[in-house]
Amino acid sequence: MIYLDNAATTGIKPRSVINAVNYALNNLSANPGRGGYETSNNAAMTVYECRSTIKEFVNCESENNVCFTLNCTHSINTVLQGTLKEGDHVITSSLEHNAVIRPIFNLFLEKHLQYSVAQVDKDNKVTVKNFEKLIRKNTKMIIVTAASNVIGRLLPLYEIGQLCKEKNILFAVDAAQAAGVIPIDMKQMNIDYLCIAPHKGFYAPMGTGILVAQKGIDKVILQGGTGVNSVDLTQPEELPERIESGTVNLPGIAGIKAGVNFVKNKKSEKIYKHEIEICQHLYNKLLKSGATLYNERPEINAFAPVVSFNYYGFESTKVADLLAQNGIAVRSGLHCAPLAHKQIGTVNIGTVRVSPSAFNSADDIDKLMFVLKKLI
Amino acid sequence: MKHVIVTGTVTYAIRGRDILRKYGFRATVERNSSGLGRLGCGYGIVVYGDISKAVEILRSNSIKIIEVNKL
Repeated sequence: MIYLDNAATTGIKPRSVINAVNYALNNLSANPGRGGYETSNNAAMTVYECRSTIKEFVNCESENNVCFTLNCTHSINTVLQGTLKEGDHVITSSLEHNAVIRPIFNLFLEKHLQYSVAQVDKDNKVTVKNFEKLIRKNTKMIIVTAASNVIGRLLPLYEIGQLCKEKNILFAVDAAQAAGVIPIDMKQMNIDYLCIAPHKGFYAPMGTGILVAQKGIDKVILQGGTGVNSVDLTQPEELPERIESGTVNLPGIAGIKAGVNFVKNKKSEKIYKHEIEICQHLYNKLLKSGATLYNERPEINAFAPVVSFNYYGFESTKVADLLAQNGIAVRSGLHCAPLAHKQIGTVNIGTVRVSPSAFNSADDIDKLMFVLKKLI
Repeated sequence: MKHVIVTGTVTYAIRGRDILRKYGFRATVERNSSGLGRLGCGYGIVVYGDISKAVEILRSNSIKIIEVNKL
């Protein structure tokens, strides 16, 4: 199979990740942060080393800021539900995934949270202005995707972070499509909360998530055992334990550490360049073939490696089905991002999305184009 | 002289141990066995040497200390 749905999860995991998960299952199956015997201590060290690896990778303050969650959506919910209260105002972008917009809308319904959606423009300066215009006295947070999962456009994180700093507003970033792909520096970008899907850009197992929280979480959505201060019936205040109730996914965390090291060793900028070149190859071929494209030609530092298109008026699902029948995996439909599809005018038809990884090549695109031509 | 610095969480304990080792202290992480009835489960750093200096170093690195006990 040619797997080109890496924006959903990276389909091929590096051998080092598989080996790390395998090692953890065989040798570290003891509860980390609970026991005092050797295997539990070794498991706790593995978790801690992963926190250190992430800390270095995203440049946050300390290992205590790195919290493990079930997935990126869990991280985003923890931030939104844990920090926003009745009467607060939050601003998000017009390219958000439902992982962001649904919890916001739910808080609007249940807690009268106020929210605004800023239009993302081709011009980053216009985008930042659009955010600035929406700021109110009670604006508590700006939360944005780092990169659209539909059209790949990168948001100007540094500039939005500066705006948040100037206006004393919390800044949260959904880095599901970006972490491990484009550089993210939390201190430089003034990011307070960074939500990561390690099974995407870090090539880690699914069922893993990271929340890097430089600021506190007032209200936790999951409470329970943390291995700490068990006499106290209230949830611990300190991160990461405050939001890590219950047993963490130790094999998954071992896989995250190996995945980050895979990206670091291969140089993330090289992987990114390779993936963008594949996207450019596809873009050029699609343009010549008469397909409808929904973003400009993907360029480094402007786009994540994602191309959305439709082909000669065929339903996106029909195109994806044909490709699947020929052993090529892509994604069709709305990609859980209705706002982005409204912006590009495809909310009724969806798009076909192609998203390569480090393990794809231009040959994969040529094969995809060969199959596409069967439709016409 | 041997002391245990009770940090509560294993994250603080490992982080604190690594910091103290950088300053030349002999330090290990242990599951806290003292104060179980008052504090419940948790972890501590067993430290050999100048405990006042060790505590000062940990505090200046934002390591939360619950209590210090002589062993």
